[in-house]
Amino acid sequence: MRGASKTTYQLPIGPIHPALKEPVMFEFKVDGERIIDVDVKLGQVHRGIEWAGTRRNPIQILYLAERICGICSYCHPMSFALAVERAAGIEVPERAQYLRVIQGELERICSHVLWAGVAAHEIGFDSVLFLTWEIREKGLDLTEYLTGNRVTKGITMIGGVRRDITDDMVPKVKQALDYLKEKIDKVQHVFLNDKTIKLRCRDCGVLTKEDALKLCAVGPTARASGVKKDVRLDQGYFAYTDLDFDYVTPDIITGEVKGDVYDRVIVRLLEVKQSINLIEQCLEQMPKGDIVSEPKIPKLLATLKRVNGEGIGRMEAPRGEVFHYVRFTGTGNPYAWKVRAPTYNNILPWIPMLLDQQIADIPIVAASTDPCMSCTNRVAIISNNKRYIMNSEELHRLSIEKTRRLSI
Amino acid sequence: MRFSMIPVVLAQMLKKPFTNKFPVKYAPSSPSRFLEKVEKGEIKINPPVPVPERFRGRITYDKDKCIGCRLCLQVCPSEAIEYKTEEKKIRIYLARCTFCAQCNEVCPVSCLSMSNEFLLSDTDKYSNSLIVE
Amino acid sequence: MIRDKQLKPEEIVQSFKDAFTTNIEDSRIERRVTGIKKAGFTIIWLRVKRESFKDVVKHIFTFDEYPHFAVTSGYDMNENIELVYHFSIYHGSRGREISLNITVTLPKNDPSIDTITDLLPGAVISEQEKQEMLGVIVKGIPKNQRVFISDDFPEGVYPWRKDETGPDKHVRNLHKEEDKKT
Repeated sequence: MRGASKTTYQLPIGPIHPALKEPVMFEFKVDGERIIDVDVKLGQVHRGIEWAGTRRNPIQILYLAERICGICSYCHPMSFALAVERAAGIEVPERAQYLRVIQGELERICSHVLWAGVAAHEIGFDSVLFLTWEIREKGLDLTEYLTGNRVTKGITMIGGVRRDITDDMVPKVKQALDYLKEKIDKVQHVFLNDKTIKLRCRDCGVLTKEDALKLCAVGPTARASGVKKDVRLDQGYFAYTDLDFDYVTPDIITGEVKGDVYDRVIVRLLEVKQSINLIEQCLEQMPKGDIVSEPKIPKLLATLKRVNGEGIGRMEAPRGEVFHYVRFTGTGNPYAWKVRAPTYNNILPWIPMLLDQQIADIPIVAASTDPCMSCTNRVAIISNNKRYIMNSEELHRLSIEKTRRLSI
Repeated sequence: MRFSMIPVVLAQMLKKPFTNKFPVKYAPSSPSRFLEKVEKGEIKINPPVPVPERFRGRITYDKDKCIGCRLCLQVCPSEAIEYKTEEKKIRIYLARCTFCAQCNEVCPVSCLSMSNEFLLSDTDKYSNSLIVE
Repeated sequence: MIRDKQLKPEEIVQSFKDAFTTNIEDSRIERRVTGIKKAGFTIIWLRVKRESFKDVVKHIFTFDEYPHFAVTSGYDMNENIELVYHFSIYHGSRGREISLNITVTLPKNDPSIDTITDLLPGAVISEQEKQEMLGVIVKGIPKNQRVFISDDFPEGVYPWRKDETGPDKHVRNLHKEEDKKT
């Protein structure tokens, strides 16, 4: 092995994540500036949510699941509701399925635009950060108008949704979508044509198709490496089976698939456009009808008390596949509940991505997989048997210095 | 194009700021005297940003309509509602409330509703301004 | 990956039964529809014995070269621990994916099972989690360390169990303690 005879440094970066200021722990073996080996340690923010779920009835768990993550706070209660509906045999009315699609795609837009700003910030391009977050404000205003709150929307109910989109609300939705469309074109122009971003991101943090398939990567991370995995298309849920769209891979724009950071940027920006298109299709095709299968809640609770079975629910969150498993035994509270956030599958691909890169590349490669860890750690660097902890400001400074070096 | 952000940055200098402004630029040393002056018309403040309709603010409780069925206790996710057994009415602790409005939907006589108030902070979790009964 | 021949759910279950006969204890095919056009999808549930578990997982590779592994869920059922492994095959084309859930029962006095990380490297975090949360012993796991619980949590306490090794003694209800003070 290359670094075995020379002295290798091991760097632990402690529980504040370099890219998203959430706690995660990595140990890098470093030879000079080059990374040789990576070890992942998780679990700093473990909150015992699955245990707390066994003591509550399913309607209370909806609000508990919402608070697992702030940015994908719509996907967790929705997949839980899918799992319960499949275990109990509850049918969701058609209008509710279309409404669920609209809310999900709106959340995807807000999340990807937030990510674009964070990625630009890690490179050192702060003016793009403010441009993208200005767009996101209009997206959040629309969310607040439709659901009453910007995050933790509280719109899920087992068997449907809680609020409707009436005909007098539709013009305002369309106005917001037009604004988003023209602004996203501007952001896409900046990201794809600016030379600094290309120099910094091309051939950096490559994940081959083989590795992505073996390590079961999900979401835009896998699609940027050429793997066609998307739960909305593969299996279908809600009303996605009626809509017209396709897998998003980087060869739509560039013509070839390399699997580096630049490809992931392309995939996410194209997905925002796809989401706006999907919402417009939904608004045209939405049928009239009920929004929830059982409006009287005591009756719903009584039905759920007699359920005896198990169910799974899978959804495509902005970061990948969210998975929930629920088992009932006839007491009303679930006997077992398992949650799997998409970032757990996307952590192991960090190891082949970060080999042979420089330390200053850690923030941008880590940020490119969009980790949403409500349980990540700091990165620890072990250097020459001396452990010293490098915090996020130092890594960020190194990343910006590298950008300046490249552009001069 | 190498410097594609420069036209955007220059255009920003001519536009209005995007952020919503605070009521006044510097915090007043005594809020109550400041509010008296505003009411008399001596000081002008920036108008507050309106909340959307059906906003979920502080909960309001109509005691006379309540029948004591205890359905709201079953659905509250954070156990913020307490039942008073002698009176057969409830008490709500705002310090634990998550503002989900699930109790509003369950109530059979519609005695609970969410108002537009959101300025609710206090220094003591169980002070009287944070208990609704 | 789109293979040349994609099997129907009944053929998949039949192929398992032919290969493993009595080791498959139970099987169930769940069919659901969604949307206005009522497009369908299938979920298969299998219950297998522990001895043939690894061969069953190898058999999945004959349907799809790279099956997708989601997670392992586990729960405590009186004298046994039940683990459910969630796979899915046939991704890449619209509406064809089939979810495959395999349930294995382990007795509590001998909760050991073989690892599948040599077939699927992405399963290592899930297996470490089962070791610390339920007390399962995974034979041949590449890295034996705790993943979610901190290293100073006492040994022998398994948070997902409902018997005497459960975490009930370590739980504090802060709201009730506050109420006692006021």
